[in-house]
Amino acid sequence: MGKRKKIHAAIPELKNELAKGNLSRRDFIRNATLLGVSAAAASQMAGFMLPKKVFAATPRKGGFVRMAAEMHGPDDQMDPIVATSTIDYTRMHVVYNGLVQILDNMSLHPELAGEWSVNKSATEYTFKIRKGVHFHDGSPMTGHDVVWSMRRHLGKDSPSVIKALMASVDEWKLVDTYTVKAILNSPDADLPAKLGEKQAKIVKKDTKDFKKGNGTGPFVLKSFEPGVKSTHARNKDYWRDRPYLDEVEITAITDPIARVNALIAGDVQLITAVDAKSIRLVEQAQGVHISSTPTATYGGICCLKNTMPGKDDDFVKGMQYIQDRERIVRSILKGHGMVGNDQPISPAFGKDHCHELPQREYDPDKAKWHLNKAGISTAELYTAPIIPGLEEMCLLMQANLKKIGFDLKIKRMPTDGYWGSVWMKEPMNVVTWNMRPTANAMLALQFAPGGAWNDTFWNNERVGELLKLSLAETDPVKRHGMYCEMQTLVHNGSGMVIPYHVNSIDGINDKIHGIPKQPLGFLGGCEWPEFAWIEA
Amino acid sequence: MLRRAILRRIIIGIVTLFVVSVMIFVGTSVLPGDVAEIILGQMATPDSLAALRHDLGLDQPAYIRYFLWLGDLVTGDLGISKAGAGFGTVGTAISTMISSRLMNTFRLAGMVALIAIPLSLTLGLAAAMYPGTRLDRIITFSTLSLISLPEFLVATFLVLILAVQLGWLPSIAYMSGNETGLQLLRVLALPTLTLVIVVSAQIVRMTRATVLNVLSSPYIEMAILKGMPRKRIILRHALLNAIGPIVNVIALNLAWLISGVVIVETVFAYPGLAKLMIDGVQTRDLPLVQACAMIFCTTYVVLIFIADMVSILSNPRLRHPR
Repeated sequence: MGKRKKIHAAIPELKNELAKGNLSRRDFIRNATLLGVSAAAASQMAGFMLPKKVFAATPRKGGFVRMAAEMHGPDDQMDPIVATSTIDYTRMHVVYNGLVQILDNMSLHPELAGEWSVNKSATEYTFKIRKGVHFHDGSPMTGHDVVWSMRRHLGKDSPSVIKALMASVDEWKLVDTYTVKAILNSPDADLPAKLGEKQAKIVKKDTKDFKKGNGTGPFVLKSFEPGVKSTHARNKDYWRDRPYLDEVEITAITDPIARVNALIAGDVQLITAVDAKSIRLVEQAQGVHISSTPTATYGGICCLKNTMPGKDDDFVKGMQYIQDRERIVRSILKGHGMVGNDQPISPAFGKDHCHELPQREYDPDKAKWHLNKAGISTAELYTAPIIPGLEEMCLLMQANLKKIGFDLKIKRMPTDGYWGSVWMKEPMNVVTWNMRPTANAMLALQFAPGGAWNDTFWNNERVGELLKLSLAETDPVKRHGMYCEMQTLVHNGSGMVIPYHVNSIDGINDKIHGIPKQPLGFLGGCEWPEFAWIEA
Repeated sequence: MLRRAILRRIIIGIVTLFVVSVMIFVGTSVLPGDVAEIILGQMATPDSLAALRHDLGLDQPAYIRYFLWLGDLVTGDLGISKAGAGFGTVGTAISTMISSRLMNTFRLAGMVALIAIPLSLTLGLAAAMYPGTRLDRIITFSTLSLISLPEFLVATFLVLILAVQLGWLPSIAYMSGNETGLQLLRVLALPTLTLVIVVSAQIVRMTRATVLNVLSSPYIEMAILKGMPRKRIILRHALLNAIGPIVNVIALNLAWLISGVVIVETVFAYPGLAKLMIDGVQTRDLPLVQACAMIFCTTYVVLIFIADMVSILSNPRLRHPR
């Protein structure tokens, strides 16, 4: 644990000089140490001022990495279609491959599908399956396995977690041993991105026991104990030059403090979900650092539009204007997040984010005006700690509402059972949604009229129309216009209050490199196993 | 006479286990949500829920599921956990899930007992032998302060000092399964130390109190008047009569070590049985929860039975109840 010391008043001035270039790095360190800063701390400060040294070193083979996720239990899965937690996702990327891989900045790369093509109307895809790829049991991977794996997402009885994402596909067809076609019932230009999801991994045809983890992925499953750990050895016959690591061990430490301690003590090399209170602790410790990646995952409040008080648009506006977004990000998230704009598509989505839409600011006067117009002076909000910052956000909101004479009652619920008994039932409840692979999928989940997870019961026909049209649109300017229109509609009309998006905050040992910058989950969207390497 | 007492206690034990099995079953059934809802979480739809429920056999009435399970249990089959198995695939036998966890739990409890019981008996007796002295006051003061410290605090302090600051011991008791001898001791050192501190304090207090209590009885006064040495009075006359309550406290603490150390298991990420049961509750894995509960209940029943037998054997009056 690092000790906190008072820093001499002249240090910021020195830092300024260093940044301007009037002071050399060596002089800065010398002066700073004279003012009572330790040499290590001074060089660290100097390091922050200069562009980080570019890591030109080439990846090295060998080594062992142990990762500790934030949650696990007897329900850990090795069956891709029901993978639901960070530890499941990581195991999917360790053991299996998908048709498509999503890497840095949401870019798509061919994986088991060597290439793919789509017809003009985006209703039929042809995938050329890579030849010479083998499952860990030695049998060759062919189109038969692809079709069998992908069909598991279709049909009424499928428990697939991404069934809704795959709803545009009518049928997967085998053309020949290494060619597969997806026949769609409606245009879907985003299908390849959806195939990059961790649930869309390719398993061997007719697999009955998924616990054996027979995939084509970079590591072979050595042991799998749900709720304890899994161990993996490098797949010597992997079809790519990677992975670099010899062995990987995946476990979870559910206690957040114990997880951080294990990272600092060197017992694990990678941890997920560092809580805001521990960030400084990790930053000050030797040999480990924080990696913070902006995502679209958010915490928010659903005001149900089919019942009071959410039915009243002015009530929703009041709840939106009372959010002190800057302060939530600064004080509650300690800067590791972004302000939200009452619609789910954050800048992490790149081109599909509507930067033209003005940011809604904290404005108690407007909030008061809207709430007076609605004639409502009290409401009940159900909350549960389902994502960092939510409960604090609700308390801040309660205090700010009190100042304008509104009485918000907060009902705290346990996480356990929240989704079944509170969410989509109580008129005003907190919610979180993880980032999805496409802006369309993220919007469709919550805002498609009549959708299963339309959790504000806001049915806007125009949004439904745009969701379909944008999937068929290939012109980038028109496409952006459509996404902007949808985001504006949600921002102005839905019952969603989205004050903030969280970053993925990981703790990483300084010796580990190569983790992709992918925002779809912790540790590079859980894609790290194939790319990580250890400095000698 | 003795045989009848033993038989009676065994029957009471079996009845207790049966009652507990019913209570656990009813208790878990009234929890909101089921394993299907937990597996699918936020992504559940009525269709996928119904499909998964049918696959898991959850669409049968509760009493049928209870008797099916009870029948399996009596024949030694703990059942199959479906939670970790994926859709339409074979599950894991609960006995395999539990066996390695149970070994870990017994290993930790055994190490703690091996250190804590002799240590605390010695300290307790020492305090009782010299009441009011500086030794007694030090022992009393430190045990009283340790009893009032929650175990997660003790654990976190130990980790911060011994693992993070000094780097002597691993911060998590992470079992790779092939540690031997010294390695195993190193891995288990911190959780063992934590539990020894927590458990010993109670046994020390109890030993001191009961021995002192016995020391004030008339027959001890007689022994003192006879001029018997104090050490002999305590070890031969007082301790044997105080053994009943002490053994009971030890038994309760041992049972707690097996079933109640979930906080220590969580802080040290130690794969023990208590944590498995909590996970089972969270995932609504009914067969798993029931199996764990039955094991814990059996542990209590057996340990209390042994403690009772020891008290009966050490006290002739209890051997011949009127």
